[in-house]
Amino acid sequence: MKNSTINLRDLVILVADPNAYLRRVVHGMLRGFGANKVLEVTHSFSLFEALTGQKIDILLCDTRLPPHGGLKATHTIRCNVYNQNRTMPILLMTSDTSETMIKRARDVGANMVVAKPMSPNSLYDRLSWIALNPRPFIDTATYFGPDRRFKIEGYPGGVGRRKGDKAIEVAEEVGPALAQNDIDKLFSATRSGQS
Amino acid sequence: MSEKPEHETLIFYVDSRFERMARRPGGIAREEALANAQSHVDELKFDFVDWLDQELQQLDAALSQIEVDPNDVTVFDRANNICSQLRDVGTTMGFELVTFVAGSLCAILETIRAGATYDKEMIDCHINALFLVKTDPYRNMSPGQLPEMSSGLRRIVDLAIQTTPEEPGPEAEQLAVGKIPLSEGDDGPR
Repeated sequence: MKNSTINLRDLVILVADPNAYLRRVVHGMLRGFGANKVLEVTHSFSLFEALTGQKIDILLCDTRLPPHGGLKATHTIRCNVYNQNRTMPILLMTSDTSETMIKRARDVGANMVVAKPMSPNSLYDRLSWIALNPRPFIDTATYFGPDRRFKIEGYPGGVGRRKGDKAIEVAEEVGPALAQNDIDKLFSATRSGQS
Repeated sequence: MSEKPEHETLIFYVDSRFERMARRPGGIAREEALANAQSHVDELKFDFVDWLDQELQQLDAALSQIEVDPNDVTVFDRANNICSQLRDVGTTMGFELVTFVAGSLCAILETIRAGATYDKEMIDCHINALFLVKTDPYRNMSPGQLPEMSSGLRRIVDLAIQTTPEEPGPEAEQLAVGKIPLSEGDDGPR
């Protein structure tokens, strides 16, 4: 893939996070990427309300979203056959990057997981992945969501955390048990039944 | 005679509006988009310290209430939420140490939730560290640059886990066993 540029203009992006400051940060990043329709909600009740009344193009949801949590919210969205947003891309944001959490996120139907604290790079690359690497949906008795057996061929456009990347004034994420690269690998690990 | 499966597995492609529209020409080039985003983040940095001050005051107050009544779930959740917020935005705003110390305090709170005794000294130690690392000299510093403080906080978490009757959450375990690196390239305590 030669071009990793994505065009977010006129896409309706919903940010669901209880942290007001973090919503401002994510909102600012998305504006910088070119998004002009960013909605925000603080809890899952308003999330479901927002999803009922309109078409949302992508959801960025925190795993600690009160009161149900982002995993439960994702599962509920994927299970609701009557909701027009059932197949929208869902990007989960989490500071708990234990392997258990990442696998659970994958198994409830999240498209991607981005580790907090996040940088513009990490957010942009995950949005690029979702946009430029479409995956089929799987509907089984126990799972509804994007195909978990996908293969990451590298960062879109060959960019990412490499030595040649442009330096950016945001520190590397510290804190997660799994680094963002490991999270991404875990999402692709089921390809040959590895997990 | 085979039985009809209750739920047939379906595989289908969804040409989502997001994928379709995001691939349109006319988007902002990646480098420019990242620079724009960073500029938005930088604008927020001006009031970050004020916000941090307010959050720390509230955290301090909530923790004082927990000391009086460790079973007050509402106050406990409030403290935990504030602490998580600090952890989640610290690094993004250039205060990596705020993320580290707040993460350590989150781990301590997890152990208390799991039944560990409220230890005022452990809490005070973290609050003092937070008030210290939010000051300007510590901006853009990594935990690896303050090894004594970092390893000291790790030992505190380790001690808290040892006195926890139930298994604490994953974060406490990660911090204690050193899976959370002090800085890039650091594998944690040996």
